[in-house]
Amino acid sequence: MAAVLGLIVGVVGGIFLQPDIPIVLQPYLPIMVVAALDALLGAARSFFERSFSDKVFVISFLSNVITATLLVLLGNQLGVGSQLQTAVIVVLGIRIFSNVSSIRRFIFRG
Amino acid sequence: MTEHSAPHEEESPHGNAEQHQNSQRFDDAEYRGEARSRRDRRRRHHSSDNTDTGSFPMVRKRPSRSASVNAKRARIVTSVLVGLLCALLGFGYVVQVRNTSSSYESLSEDELVRVLDETSTQVDKLEQRRNELNRQLTSIQSAADKQKEAEKIAQQNAQTSGILSGRLPAEGKGVTISVSQRDKHVDAATMFTLIEELRNAGAEVISFNSARVVTSTYIKDTKNGLIVDGNQFSSPYTIKAIGNPSDLQNAIQIAGGVGSRLKVTFNASVNVVQTDSVKIDEVRQPQQYQYARTVE
Repeated sequence: MAAVLGLIVGVVGGIFLQPDIPIVLQPYLPIMVVAALDALLGAARSFFERSFSDKVFVISFLSNVITATLLVLLGNQLGVGSQLQTAVIVVLGIRIFSNVSSIRRFIFRG
Repeated sequence: MTEHSAPHEEESPHGNAEQHQNSQRFDDAEYRGEARSRRDRRRRHHSSDNTDTGSFPMVRKRPSRSASVNAKRARIVTSVLVGLLCALLGFGYVVQVRNTSSSYESLSEDELVRVLDETSTQVDKLEQRRNELNRQLTSIQSAADKQKEAEKIAQQNAQTSGILSGRLPAEGKGVTISVSQRDKHVDAATMFTLIEELRNAGAEVISFNSARVVTSTYIKDTKNGLIVDGNQFSSPYTIKAIGNPSDLQNAIQIAGGVGSRLKVTFNASVNVVQTDSVKIDEVRQPQQYQYARTVE
């Protein structure tokens, strides 16, 4: 319940506030969003598996976001920023797909 | 398999029952095997971090302690935290969605280089085009200048030739001569001589009564007057001439000239008046040439 409520509050806040992102943060925000989405979908899957834990969700969310950001930062410093960004996106994408497929299995029982 | 099944028994009863339920529900051999191995691995590392793609840490809920205020508060705090994180996610998502199409700031280095290349090529092209247009403009301007010059010359020509051919009215210093015959008919030859004398003295425009005198003007005798260019005139005759007034007057009144001849031979009165402004309104339509052609 809290998750859905939080999502709604965040989207509404983003629409109404329309903040300017600092330029430093701009290359990392999309990665952060994808990582957070992965964490959210993982939480949804564990919720369906009846093994959801608030603490684990919070930790995994933060670690996902931070790891992805640090990876991209590292890539930028090594001069392979876009490649590493692509790599992170691919990995997170695969995880998102597998999470979605297990959620689907729980919902449609097949 | 047997090795795995042994520690299976040691699982907490809560988790075990749940897992059994799941297994029964799905009845999926592959799934069960996967779940079991996962569980095994997790126990081995004593942590819930699983970096494998396609898996999410499965964490068993802590065995619920005895109902206490502490646990309740912790649950509220974590749910608030979860809500906050989700809010952050939604916020970031919306911000990013609004931002993607905003500016070059989010482009990568390669894209920026490409954009720069494209822009500089476009700048070159535009510069080229500008030079071309400038050249065109210069040529058109010079052409216009030439045309203007030609127009001016043509206008001047038209003016001079218009006065010369009698197409335009003229005005200027000159003399007005009136010749009135008394008893003797003034003949055409004498009047023609008078006009010729005026011409010799530098008269630029001449009119005879209401006829403009041009190169093709003729004077013919009749019983009661003269015909000039087909117009019948009778005495007194008024001849207006534009030119140097004193020269013109001298040309007529010189001793033994046409003036004295008119007086002596024809007993006519000749009156020459110098004026600062002689206005000759009489015009002649230009002749339509039937045979003559300009040489090309």
